[in-house]
Amino acid sequence: MLSVKNLHAGVSGKEILKGVDLSISPGEIHAVMGRNGSGKSTLSNVITGKDGYVISEGDIKYKDESIIEWSPEKRALAGIFMSFQYPVVMPGVNNTYFLKAALNSKLKNSGKKELNAAEFLKLVKEKLTELDMDISYLQRAVNEGFSGGEKKRNEILQMLTLEPELAIMDETDSGLDIDALKIIANGVNKYRNPSRSFLVITHYQRLLKYIEPDFVHVLIDGKFVRSGGKELALELEERGYEWLEE
Amino acid sequence: MARGIMPDYFKSEFVKIINRKYLAREANPFRTKAFDKLTEQGLPTKKDENWRFTDISSIKKGSFRISEKKDAPNADFNISGHELNSLKTVVFFNGHLQESLSALPKGLGVISNQKYMEQNGWALSQPTKSSFDLLNTAFIDSGVSIIVDKGIQISEPIRLLFICSSDEKLMTSPRIHVDIGESSSLSLFEQHVGDCNEYLFNQSVIVNIERNARLDHIRLQNNSESTINMGNLHVKQLEDSSYDFVQFAFGGKLGRTDVNIDLCEKGANCFVKGLSLSDHKQHLDVNVITNHHAPNCISDQNFKSILKGNSSGVFNGRVIVHDGAQKTDSSQSNKNLLLSKEALMNSNPQLEIYADDVKCSHGSSTGALESDALFYIRSRGIDQEAATALLVHGFASEIIEGIKNHDIKDLVITYFNTWLEQKN
Repeated sequence: MLSVKNLHAGVSGKEILKGVDLSISPGEIHAVMGRNGSGKSTLSNVITGKDGYVISEGDIKYKDESIIEWSPEKRALAGIFMSFQYPVVMPGVNNTYFLKAALNSKLKNSGKKELNAAEFLKLVKEKLTELDMDISYLQRAVNEGFSGGEKKRNEILQMLTLEPELAIMDETDSGLDIDALKIIANGVNKYRNPSRSFLVITHYQRLLKYIEPDFVHVLIDGKFVRSGGKELALELEERGYEWLEE
Repeated sequence: MARGIMPDYFKSEFVKIINRKYLAREANPFRTKAFDKLTEQGLPTKKDENWRFTDISSIKKGSFRISEKKDAPNADFNISGHELNSLKTVVFFNGHLQESLSALPKGLGVISNQKYMEQNGWALSQPTKSSFDLLNTAFIDSGVSIIVDKGIQISEPIRLLFICSSDEKLMTSPRIHVDIGESSSLSLFEQHVGDCNEYLFNQSVIVNIERNARLDHIRLQNNSESTINMGNLHVKQLEDSSYDFVQFAFGGKLGRTDVNIDLCEKGANCFVKGLSLSDHKQHLDVNVITNHHAPNCISDQNFKSILKGNSSGVFNGRVIVHDGAQKTDSSQSNKNLLLSKEALMNSNPQLEIYADDVKCSHGSSTGALESDALFYIRSRGIDQEAATALLVHGFASEIIEGIKNHDIKDLVITYFNTWLEQKN
């Protein structure tokens, strides 16, 4: 599904990713773990197409097509989604309106009929229940006045509504209490199926207790220094990152 | 004040306006007095603090003529294209009141300025704050006085429709008086429209809000991009009165609105807001002064501009808390969105406080759309153009959503969407 080959990327002359290789097959959950500054967010931003990054070497392929020249919206429409570490607050932009516009853009792109307000509301109400979210979320402006947990739940609501095939969870656990974490993990686990893949980016092992990865990669200074199964996450929890840094 | 230019055409037109006899000859002394004072001080120059960023050379160099009888509409005139059937409307066409087109609710007195000035005495104090007030007083050629007696609530907005329509360079000077009696309320909707070439529209609106009364006032300026629209607004509020003003300035080559509010007695509140949209070489300027003269008053200024093309804008906001105006609660905000690199905004929020027990806040920001927000939206599969529209809508919605009347709100939204979709 996703194939990252020898990826070198950075911002304005500073190389942050220094040769990352990553291959994700349908149905797999991969975790990328690393400290702050290791390049985790750069990896997710480069995959989703954020402006301002320079790819100096290597390639990113999604379903066998190189996507590095694609706009963010084209990647999203192709099925790539990112749950943001810091979801953007948009005063005056209604949450329902935003989500409906996103869904209809996707439906239209795939030649399907767009949903009207009533159809959309019915669909989104079911997703809200799954995430233990109140209907009042929909009336509010996107992320305005949301607590950290509410923002992350709103990200997952978008994921469940847009039904991506590759979901990148960028530090989804940061700032969450244990109850919110469980609700979010539950949402993700229900969403798992053999054709959907996840890339879970995290600093701590905590989230991986609830969302069990198939593979764990340790990112240090822009490179994967070790890859393994879920037990690698536990080992990191016990031993920290130091033993891998040498 | 620096001595400014007095255009020659003012002099020749002044003789003509006196002869047009819109007002009885009892008005001539105050017209002349205003004209003499205007002659003495001239039009503002860029050395005047409040005019530093606004170029009025098109007024100084232009040669406009007053609107005559022949500039009134034909007998078969109708307001097609500007229908808003739900609203009672008073129409002004090139400075001529079209009484036949107007129907008004009971309980509302609409009288001529002539009658108003007779009733209030010809010595009625005329606004002298700026050169454009003096110009309006000297050249009053139309208008109406709206009187709401004590204890009357009129919830359906009354519309004042100003149509500027001529191939010739006309100047018109409407004067509106609005008196809201004790414990009464009125909703007023001013709409400025019209296809015309160069045109000088200079209006003064004088509002008195008595005790416990309220006025909701919407000003929608959607003139042609050749029109000069000068609005001079003066509001005097007594105890526990309330004033809500919102301006949508979308049209005009040069649009300048001066809002002067005096909170004269305790417990008065005023909320003044605005949204300006400019493109091409338009220049839209808002000057607001809120004077707190009495304790326990609340005021809010909240103005936004969105600029495209080579357009420019000004926000000069002042809140003055005078000695003795304790427990004043005032806020002031100016936010501006630049959608082109060539657009220019001058923002100047000011606070002057001469009392010691007050709560005042102010702030200003000007910038382009946030790239993080654009990326966030695009990462959900929405293209750049639609993402931009979503954010611009979000920026403007705070002001637009405040409109209570659905028909007016729909009209504003239609104008807004049309503006947003226009490509440079």
